[in-house]
Amino acid sequence: MQQLQQDIIVVGGGGAGLRAAIAAAEASPGLQVALLSKVYPMRSHTVAAEGGAAAVTLDEDSLAAHFQDTVSGSDWLAEQDVVEYFVAHAYQELVQLERWGCPWSRKTDGKVQVRRFGGMKTERTWFAADKTGFHILHTLFQTSLRYPAIKRFDEYFVVDLLVVEQQIAGVLAIDFSSGKLVQIMAKAVILATGGAGRVFHYNTNGGIVTGDGMALAYRHGVALRDMEFVQYHPTGLPGSGILITEACRGEGGILLNKDGYRYLQDYGLGPVTPAGQPQNKYMELGPRDKLSQAFWQQQQLGLTADYQGHAVVYLDLRHLGKAHLASRLPFICELAKAYVNIDPATAPIPIRPAVHYTMGGILTDINCQTSIAGLFAVGECASVGLHGANRLGSNSLSELLVFGKVAGEQAAALALQANLPPLSAVAVQSEQQQNYIGNLFADSCDDTVHAIRTELTLAMEQGCGIYRDNAGMQSCLDTLQALKTRYQQLKVTDNSKVYNSTLLQHLELGFGLDVAETICRSALARTESRGAHQRLDEGMTKRNDNDFLTHSLAIRQPDGNTMISWQPVKITSLPPAERHYGAKGSGLAGSGSAGSNV
Amino acid sequence: MSKTINIARYNPEQDSQPQLQAFQVDSDHSTSVLDALLQVQQQDPSLGFRWSCRMAICGSCGVMVNGIPKLGCKTFLRDYPDEVTVSALAHFVVEKDLIVDMQPFLAHLSAVKPYLINDQQNAEPHRQTPAQLAKYQQFANCINCGLCYSACPQFGLNPEFLGPAAITLAQRYNLDSRDQGKAARMPELNSKNGVWGCTFVGFCSEVCPKKVDPAAAINQGKVASAGDFIISMFKP
Amino acid sequence: MVVKKKSAPGPYQPVMARTWWLQHRYFQMYMLREATVLPLLFFIGCLLYGLYCLNLGEVQWQHWLAFMAQPWVVLLNLLAFIASLFHAKTFFELFPRVMPLARPGLMIAGQWLATLLVATGLVLLLGGWL
Repeated sequence: MQQLQQDIIVVGGGGAGLRAAIAAAEASPGLQVALLSKVYPMRSHTVAAEGGAAAVTLDEDSLAAHFQDTVSGSDWLAEQDVVEYFVAHAYQELVQLERWGCPWSRKTDGKVQVRRFGGMKTERTWFAADKTGFHILHTLFQTSLRYPAIKRFDEYFVVDLLVVEQQIAGVLAIDFSSGKLVQIMAKAVILATGGAGRVFHYNTNGGIVTGDGMALAYRHGVALRDMEFVQYHPTGLPGSGILITEACRGEGGILLNKDGYRYLQDYGLGPVTPAGQPQNKYMELGPRDKLSQAFWQQQQLGLTADYQGHAVVYLDLRHLGKAHLASRLPFICELAKAYVNIDPATAPIPIRPAVHYTMGGILTDINCQTSIAGLFAVGECASVGLHGANRLGSNSLSELLVFGKVAGEQAAALALQANLPPLSAVAVQSEQQQNYIGNLFADSCDDTVHAIRTELTLAMEQGCGIYRDNAGMQSCLDTLQALKTRYQQLKVTDNSKVYNSTLLQHLELGFGLDVAETICRSALARTESRGAHQRLDEGMTKRNDNDFLTHSLAIRQPDGNTMISWQPVKITSLPPAERHYGAKGSGLAGSGSAGSNV
Repeated sequence: MSKTINIARYNPEQDSQPQLQAFQVDSDHSTSVLDALLQVQQQDPSLGFRWSCRMAICGSCGVMVNGIPKLGCKTFLRDYPDEVTVSALAHFVVEKDLIVDMQPFLAHLSAVKPYLINDQQNAEPHRQTPAQLAKYQQFANCINCGLCYSACPQFGLNPEFLGPAAITLAQRYNLDSRDQGKAARMPELNSKNGVWGCTFVGFCSEVCPKKVDPAAAINQGKVASAGDFIISMFKP
Repeated sequence: MVVKKKSAPGPYQPVMARTWWLQHRYFQMYMLREATVLPLLFFIGCLLYGLYCLNLGEVQWQHWLAFMAQPWVVLLNLLAFIASLFHAKTFFELFPRVMPLARPGLMIAGQWLATLLVATGLVLLLGGWL
């Protein structure tokens, strides 16, 4: 086995990983920073984010307002000290990106332009047309090339963390191009591996978003927090799940059911705002959880249309006009044309909710530090406590910048004073993994990754969808248990070394099964409805702050099963209140304590 | 309906050159070449190819479709009435099946210093008008998929040629009103593997899935390079 | 660790066939554009030869005029004329992309107009002088 030594290892080359690597390299140029990614960094799924990144920018806006929107958007399950830190640092991070060359869209006077976004009281979303994630990722990747301290390991797949007495010691990874196992020792490891949307069948995520990092940490006893909260983005293309950005609605797009009726007015988001004149937090600019739930309600009433076997509603952008669409939403026009053969200037786009984002993740403190010393987590794979039960659109791109920097600096500070553990301390663990992988190969196997994965994703869709009930989740859990057993018997029948994707998919599936179980068990344990977790069971359809104003923690037991425990929410200045949007919500603006407790 | 997809297979542990292998896939009006490859992978899990976003933005799934460089996810079987043949991107070293070695591509990108060079510190953003943004915006849309390299015979003949994407990226920063790094980038562009390696075949711009028009960027680079040369003649 | 010598063939290095430009219409058009230089070279050769003859005197000049009137020379020069028009067309279409000054359509039309004016001017000037 090849053995290497680095000071810091960043696992994942998306926005959070790149930002962390740059921060570490800037904090102390003498440190060796290894950036491991299972794909080339610019393929990471940050690339597909479209709408924008939030930060208080306009004079009439305030940090308090962004704080309130985020906390109320989270259904009071955000860590309020984390939100305070976040809103205070988001602006400078977006400026930093600007100074690294990000092509933000501009006003005629040359100042950065901001757009409306769902659940936000004021325009505060910076954007680069409708390819914000793409531009952020490429700006960060290109900027990272300036730092000789950052050594890239492209197409390396991490199979295990090396941990010695609750202290991180490095990672074990497969060099995908040669199939060789590599042991890399380090004083600090930052997990920035993204979400787990691919454990659901219909999702907006790329094929690589398989929850690897979450499972890596979970297997070493780190808690996964708030895993029951999975965001359905209200506007994905039917079938493929390809993302149609919220910015469409920010620009004035409207949602129609099969009768052409703006159904959101029936779900506490009205009164209707005129088409093309969107108002913050009204109608189409409500938060994602509410909008996806409204779709489900319409579907129950038989008011959704059919698009090739998929229930859909329509996103109508026609009134915005061809020129505006071309300048603000060019990518959406391109996607609609290619994948549903529709010109948004002349016809409404069929859309439906699709899994988009895992609010939960690896439990960290405000410094991105996990319960294993020297192990940090950041971005979608982590739960630093920003999103609670529902993330507001455009908060996550800012999050990966703000906390990517924190994670990088913290890891650098630690790496400067820590020592590498002796090689002997990890020898047994490395050998075990090597044997485990070696034993995965066989000439034949009746089962396949594809078969298990399909059942997994369909079971999650069925049991842990927009609305959940006990029976559905229980049956999902039973399926997961059965699939875990099947997985243990599963073999890799391709015994080639170079780019063995069968082996990679096999390992990803194992990670996905673990993450799916934590989602399902956390959801079962939360017997209330909050944010993106909505239950249909009697007595559980409302928020219950008496019992559940608390984070769920999914912790792996030695027997391999998940145990759920609870962690109090940190509330600094905004006590829990009812969440209101539309006309009812306007009373909430300005004062945090105005609402009554639920 | 069922369609035939021929895939150029190459196993580096056994083969000396790629061989076509035919597969049958189900195809409807929305089936992309990537969808077809995913179907084939169910029949034969050893098939190697890269993919991720399946929405033409991550740049992973570049392949040759009937000899033309394409993104697998944005190319549809409906447009190929008969058979379709898929092979690894041309002009790159084939690692396995449809997976090519992208390291030379990345080395070329890195060589042109593709980042904003301006060491002024400031807590506020630069001003940049929409007109200034428009000067380079198109060139900033490159997704690094590498299709233009497979379309470029000059890169095929001389792998040291910086190539369309790298030169476009250099031009993207050179044209950015916030950048001060043009002088640092020009030596690489002026070199024999720089802009002058291009003979304006123009096929790179034809195949670009993002309409970046690298051919235009390179030839704008030639104008800049010529200007650079003339100015240098008058310098002591 | 001992690095084992690979017995397997390893990555495949593609080779570019000499006939690469025949594989695609786009490349064929490109080669045609490049080939326009050949008849143009012939035309330039004719022109230089004419100047040389003019310098030698009346007899040689008459000889050159006779040479230029031969059908195959006329044909080749006609070909050079068509080639130069074709090359101009491709050049004019490329130019707006390299020098983005105005709307491409407008620029292409402007270039043809300028060519026409300059060519007419030259013909009138030279015709008057001779």
